[in-house]
Amino acid sequence: MRAMRQPRQHSKLSQLARPVMIALVAVCLLSGITGGLLRAGVRLPTLDHSAWAAQATGLHAALMICGFLGTVIGIERAVALRAAWAFMAPLASIAGAVSILNSQPMWGAWLFAAACAVFVLVNVKIVSRQTAPHTWLLLLSAVVWLGGNLHFMRHGLDNATLAAWFGFLVLTITAERLEMSRLMRNRPGAQAMLIGVVGMLLAGVLLSLWQPVHGGVLYGAGLFLLALWLGAFDIARHTVRAQALTRYMAICLLSGYAWLAVAGLCWAAYAVGWPCRDAALHALGLGFIVSMVMGHAPVILPAVAGIKLHFDHRFYLPLLVLHGSLLVRLLPGGFDPAWRAMGSGLNALAIVLFAATVVSAAWSWRQRHPAIPRRAPR
Amino acid sequence: MSDAHRFDYVGDEAWRAPITAALKKVVDPEVALSILDVGLVYGVTVSADKVHVLMTMTSAACPVADMIVEEVQMELDQILPVDLSIDVELCWEPAWTPARMSDSARRFMHW
Repeated sequence: MRAMRQPRQHSKLSQLARPVMIALVAVCLLSGITGGLLRAGVRLPTLDHSAWAAQATGLHAALMICGFLGTVIGIERAVALRAAWAFMAPLASIAGAVSILNSQPMWGAWLFAAACAVFVLVNVKIVSRQTAPHTWLLLLSAVVWLGGNLHFMRHGLDNATLAAWFGFLVLTITAERLEMSRLMRNRPGAQAMLIGVVGMLLAGVLLSLWQPVHGGVLYGAGLFLLALWLGAFDIARHTVRAQALTRYMAICLLSGYAWLAVAGLCWAAYAVGWPCRDAALHALGLGFIVSMVMGHAPVILPAVAGIKLHFDHRFYLPLLVLHGSLLVRLLPGGFDPAWRAMGSGLNALAIVLFAATVVSAAWSWRQRHPAIPRRAPR
Repeated sequence: MSDAHRFDYVGDEAWRAPITAALKKVVDPEVALSILDVGLVYGVTVSADKVHVLMTMTSAACPVADMIVEEVQMELDQILPVDLSIDVELCWEPAWTPARMSDSARRFMHW
């Protein structure tokens, strides 16, 4: 038998922890989606007197951003660092989400803050391993998330909290795209432009604390300009001409950038009084961020959850439903609550369809790759 | 620079071409480029009982590093005799730079 150095040594504890963690992340996502549907006016009579559903409705953004996405990103970074202590961040953020659902929002806020504090340390470690603009930006995104959670503890879920929480996600994605953009020729001024745009976003987050109108306009303008930057300098412009998974990922990215631009315009318009808060939050959260998640899941899931997927055209269906349902939610839904509720129901359907696609793709992979006996390390 | 010379190679020359071909099969799915074209492999050393691969990633925050390492092992496993052990080592120094990309990768990325 050949000896191989094993890339990962899984203890029995970590093998047990993985399905528990996946289940908790799924619970967090499903409860967050339920809260979102109730907020959008979808009637779910069986949940009328449910305490957890009331919490999920009031703190939908906390569950989706800190509970679900914060945990997934925390796991992703801990896997990259290959350090057991780094998993304290996703453990704390998922515990925060569970506390919220258990009607303990203050515990939830403390646990989210603790998750961010560990996450900042994880990113400090990443920067010490590789000092580069994209790793500094990842660290900055973690600090913004921490700032957002400290504000959340004192002031609850206001627009400044949302700007910081979304700032964390947007800067995380930007850092990852900046890293990939190194594969393209360095365009004069591109990095300086990005520094300017990131500066605008940060100024928008900070200004939103005491000048919501100016802060919101600045933040929205930053999002819009970032969409232009990504559209101009991201590798997706070239990889969209490739085939299969590479092309699918590029389509997810490019369509996400279009929604990011819409989100920027709507965020600024909402700040000056236009009734487009729902459009701003969901063009950003669903159109940009969930589109990124759908694009990267076929690559990231095998790495962080050990689930290998067979990629084929079926992945396009949930993506199509996501973008189509968002159009319904924002266009007729912007003027008619019934359309908005229908759009949000279809948004949820897109995410459920994506989950079903992942399960079927995992099954297809197993069909195509019958059990390969693993070789024991020497 | 040909694929076979995109990394430092030490050992039996007979293994250079098959090892290069095996490494070429490991692809970064986001860019549809092999790890050789991206320039992630720094060196391969073939000794009497072991094949050692030294490689890097474009980012220290890359969560798919272990998966790529595993794929390198699987591809090498297909071509090497079982009495040769396979050891894939990930390093961060020297850091990866775009200068390590192959000409075809540059063409694909419109350099």
